[in-house]
Amino acid sequence: MLTVFMLLPIAVVIGTSFNESGSLVFPPEGISFAWYVEFFADARWLRSFENSLIVATGTMVISTLIGLTAALGIEFRQNRVAKSIVGLGAVPLFIPPIVLGVSLLFYLSFFGLQQTYVGLIIAHSLWATPIVFFVMQSVFSRFDWSLWDAGLDLGASPRRSFRYVMLPSIKTGIVVSALLAFIVSLQEFVMALFISGRGTRTLPVFAWLEMRTNLSPMVSVASTIFVFITIAAIGIAVSASSLNRLADYL
Amino acid sequence: MSTSRIRDSLRTDLQQRDFDKRSLLFVPIALLVFGGFVFPFLILIRISLAGQPSGAPYEEGSLTLESFVHVVTSDLIQYIIGFSILYAVTTTLLALVVATFYAYAAWRTSGVTKYVLLFSSILPLLTTLAVKTYAWAPLLAPNGNVNDLLLLFSVIGEPVQFAPGLVGAVVGQVYNMVPFGILAIYSVLMSIEESKIEAARDLGASRIRSFYEVVLPEIIPGIAVASIIFVTWSVGAYAAPQLLGGGAERSYAVQIESYMLAELQWAFAGALSVLMLLTGAIGVLIALWVLNQSEGGVRIAGQ
Repeated sequence: MLTVFMLLPIAVVIGTSFNESGSLVFPPEGISFAWYVEFFADARWLRSFENSLIVATGTMVISTLIGLTAALGIEFRQNRVAKSIVGLGAVPLFIPPIVLGVSLLFYLSFFGLQQTYVGLIIAHSLWATPIVFFVMQSVFSRFDWSLWDAGLDLGASPRRSFRYVMLPSIKTGIVVSALLAFIVSLQEFVMALFISGRGTRTLPVFAWLEMRTNLSPMVSVASTIFVFITIAAIGIAVSASSLNRLADYL
Repeated sequence: MSTSRIRDSLRTDLQQRDFDKRSLLFVPIALLVFGGFVFPFLILIRISLAGQPSGAPYEEGSLTLESFVHVVTSDLIQYIIGFSILYAVTTTLLALVVATFYAYAAWRTSGVTKYVLLFSSILPLLTTLAVKTYAWAPLLAPNGNVNDLLLLFSVIGEPVQFAPGLVGAVVGQVYNMVPFGILAIYSVLMSIEESKIEAARDLGASRIRSFYEVVLPEIIPGIAVASIIFVTWSVGAYAAPQLLGGGAERSYAVQIESYMLAELQWAFAGALSVLMLLTGAIGVLIALWVLNQSEGGVRIAGQ
């Protein structure tokens, strides 16, 4: 019963995307790919799809780097400053996205960076970075640090030890956290609603603006594609680690 | 921690003769935290303290409480504050019940059922908020599936408009929040030994009693995390009230969006944002206080 509650909306989205008629009815009346054809013929939808991928990739790179370095840093040095900076980094997760969106819009407009990819990537990194940090922290807690010390004792530079001793055993963790960052960015839309512009609108933002004017199956098509990208990403993450460890990370 | 203490410890850090290069690992996150969050947040507070002229987003260089006074004394905003509080309380309690029940069910079952339960809670978590919310619209509409079902079993005599309306706004928000709560509570449940429950059951406790006396006290930390998430998010709810609510379901965030994007009144938007954060913070404190009290209560009942 509750599983139905959890999965019903997603079933609706996927179902209505294959609908023959133009109205939003569930279960669908007749199966057709007409709306998919239309989706891939519509420049505005494709553009927003592309924007989403650009922002999500940017967020993935930035937040994985920042989260990784911070998690590594906290392993080496546990002083008060470090802890408070990292602690502060987790605060945005508990701030309603609308507040982050509003304050970033104020801030970015000082530099003329509103409506750019840079602004969107900063916004999404605020959420993705702490998530990467927590995942990497749990990865490092499982890492055998005596290997690291052994590497250094045998005369390897910290950089070499990182490359050859640490990287092989934390690789999976990095992949998983990068994918999580990608997904976080892909699905975020309230912040993006405020700081994206006509040319940089991400897919959820465009879908949101569309659905407020009319409920057409195009939104369902876009969402279905999204759901499958997400499932694919989880699939990669699961095959990179095991499902149990993934549930642990989440 | 006070800023002066932070400064002192920063200074001793910098004064250490062999400055540890590994401290540089914190530079990226410091840049992001200060450049992307702390500084913008200070600007938000600054703009909330500016005047609100007509025709400009805010009055530059002014320092006044005008915008707060305007916001607090306006009838519309008073209505919004009242609605937001009721809405947050309702959705938080409902989501807590659903999430606890769901996490408990996922924990107690095994095999395929367990995976289905976990997967169905993770999938919505990774679907965009905009879409999850919108999918409820056709389901809850007057001619939608829920109405069809209720009419079929003669629960209701004629179609009810759940969405747009209060029911829609509440269902949508609960749905959006529940997965996070499930994960928070499930992760705590995993640390309990299931044999404890078997023991309680063997000693003659009913299902409900063994849950209440054995499990509940243990999962209070998970419930606390879930409550913090639920309260802050429901106070800041945007998508569900906007898309599934009617005109009466006006939350803080809906009004802030209208100030920001439609009416271009940034000072009012700033003031209302600060007010919203205060509401959320007070809500979290109340939730934690209640949990503290009930934790004591549960412990005593359990002894």
